[in-house]
Amino acid sequence: MITVKNLFHSYNKDGNYQVKDVSFDIEKGEVFGFLGPSGAGKSTVQNILTGLLQLQQGEATLGGYDVKNMSKDMFNKIGMSFEQSNVYSKLTAKENLHFYGKLFDNPTRDPMELLKLVGLADKADIRAGEFSKGMKHRLTFARSMINNPEIWFLDEPTTGLDPSIAADIKDIIKQKNKEGITIFLTTHNMFIADELCDRVAFIVDGEIKLIDSPENLKLQYGDKLVKVEYFQGDQVLQKTLSIVLPEDKELLRNIIENHEIRTMHTKEATLEEIFIKVTGRGLI
Amino acid sequence: MKLFSSFVKELKIASRGFYFYIEIFMALLILVLFLFVIPDNFDSKKSEYIYLDMPAEGSEIYLKAILDESIEGKAEEVKVKINKEEKKASLYTTDNSRIYILTSREDTIYMADKERKIAAIIGMDENYNFHYEYYLQGYESARYKDLLKILHVHSSDVIEEAMDNIEVRPLLINYDSLSDRENMLPSILVFNGSLMGLFIIAAYIFLDRQEGVIKAFALTPTPVWQYLMSKIGVLMLTSIVSSFIVLLPLMKLRPDYLLLLVLLITTAFFSSSLGLLIASFYKDIIQAFGTIYIFMMIMILPNIAYFMPSWNPIWIKIIPTYPMLEGFKSVILGSGDTSYVLSISAGFLFAGMILFALANHRYKKTLVV
Ligand SMILES: Nc1ncnc2c1ncn2[C@@H]1O[C@H](COP(=O)(O)OP(=O)(O)OP(=O)(O)O)[C@@H](O)[C@H]1O
Ligand SMILES: [Mg+2]
Repeated sequence: MITVKNLFHSYNKDGNYQVKDVSFDIEKGEVFGFLGPSGAGKSTVQNILTGLLQLQQGEATLGGYDVKNMSKDMFNKIGMSFEQSNVYSKLTAKENLHFYGKLFDNPTRDPMELLKLVGLADKADIRAGEFSKGMKHRLTFARSMINNPEIWFLDEPTTGLDPSIAADIKDIIKQKNKEGITIFLTTHNMFIADELCDRVAFIVDGEIKLIDSPENLKLQYGDKLVKVEYFQGDQVLQKTLSIVLPEDKELLRNIIENHEIRTMHTKEATLEEIFIKVTGRGLI
Repeated sequence: MKLFSSFVKELKIASRGFYFYIEIFMALLILVLFLFVIPDNFDSKKSEYIYLDMPAEGSEIYLKAILDESIEGKAEEVKVKINKEEKKASLYTTDNSRIYILTSREDTIYMADKERKIAAIIGMDENYNFHYEYYLQGYESARYKDLLKILHVHSSDVIEEAMDNIEVRPLLINYDSLSDRENMLPSILVFNGSLMGLFIIAAYIFLDRQEGVIKAFALTPTPVWQYLMSKIGVLMLTSIVSSFIVLLPLMKLRPDYLLLLVLLITTAFFSSSLGLLIASFYKDIIQAFGTIYIFMMIMILPNIAYFMPSWNPIWIKIIPTYPMLEGFKSVILGSGDTSYVLSISAGFLFAGMILFALANHRYKKTLVV
């Protein structure tokens, strides 16, 4: 559904690339995620694919259409939820959706139905300018579904939302995916990537470090870890150690021999720990 | 259909904001000022206070001379407030002054000294020659003072003869003219419609930029030009409404309103396209302000030529507001030169289309900036 080959992008066209040699494919019906820290280039890649940024170097297709000269028809088939909510503050929630829907050629969804979905039904007639940040974000998210998109871009769909709303949004994403929609999301939250994505790409400094499914990654990199709490004098210390790496094994043996152990658990590696191991960088 | 829906949306947004009401409010304010404060013709007549310090026979001759000059051919008995007292005076109104003949020397000096009016005491010597004592205020022009000096050097016969030899030939025969007040209307229409339009459409664009809604628009199958055009539509509407608010009550049925509509639409199209193009180069209104200001100032210049016919350099005619002013004047006159108005309308439409195409090209490229 989406193919990207050797994509480069330099905002200032000065040879400093914010996106470097990025290539990937997204299958129809797949949930594909970009996981990476702030400034990694996640939004930049999405914006190139939707045509908001001009494609400078490389190739990209969207549903078979070349991104360089995207046909009007393609816009009927894509939806995008922006990382910064962008709605008319002078229009009510319902008006925002109503007028946006009018801009498409294909049948669009009922604004009220969408507002209900994101928990804004009782705020339908309030101007978006009076909304909280999270409410605006939900409205932006709801708007991205109005044209029943086949390809759905979600830039940080749950960032800044409270956990219960984030859970609702995740459910909607899962539901949409079940309906066969192709989803390309970005996040710096490993739980989102783990829970929602069929495959994730680790991206740092504009480069993709690896692409795989969360399960595969855990099998491959997630060698078993031991979390141990022990006493040193009156202090309780805590360490997470690999039972594969020789230096970790040595340290663990040392702790068991010389200290009183308080607790000791084995633990599966999280996506974040794998991210750190692969890229040498944290997610924040 | 999409265009109409976008227009309705823009109208809704605009009507909930502050800028939308600037033009309408200004139009109402101007209307009130014109109806109740500004006189139909600006009074440029000077008031002069004169005391005739001479025997009755002398003053009779003098008064008869003034009477010949006066418009009505007779004097009006009026009361003038002098030093808190109502005093009797005779008023003679001539083409360019109001002459009050007072009854005492003290009163006349009082008017000059305390009321800062132009006053004169005219005496007569034994040889029946008039002599004049003028009390000026110091702000009179040198020309006026010189005029007073020569006025009485020659006998009035010489001056009269000279005047008779000067031929005044009107350059345009049989043309309608506007009163002083009406003459200001073209300038107001241009300022409130076109110039404010230029500024306001830029403000609308920056508001949208700030909210990021242009990005969402860019991801729909609707072309960018419709987005821009729907905004221009709002500006055209406010320009039409505010112009009619001012013109209908003041000019009644005299203007050719159909022609006015054509001119309003084309000039609003031109100036809002210009505003769009300027705004496309800047991120926010603060950055754009300098450029918008310069453009507005240049566009205001033709007003000077409009009100001061003696200053009319060729280059000023290139500034688009120059033909706008002429066009609106012609329309307001009613008997206007239709082909002239239509030809400048076509010019604005054409120039507007070029600016609009450029703006459209720029917005397509710079949506995310
Ligand atoms: N308009 C711009 N002009 C210049 N540089 C930019 C612009 N937008 C982004 N960048 C730079 O490009 C790089 C990638 O930015 P991008 O927004 O794609 O990151 P991101 O991965 O989406 O980050 P975040 O998680 O914070 O959203 C960053 O270094 C950023 O500073
Ligand atoms: Mg981003």
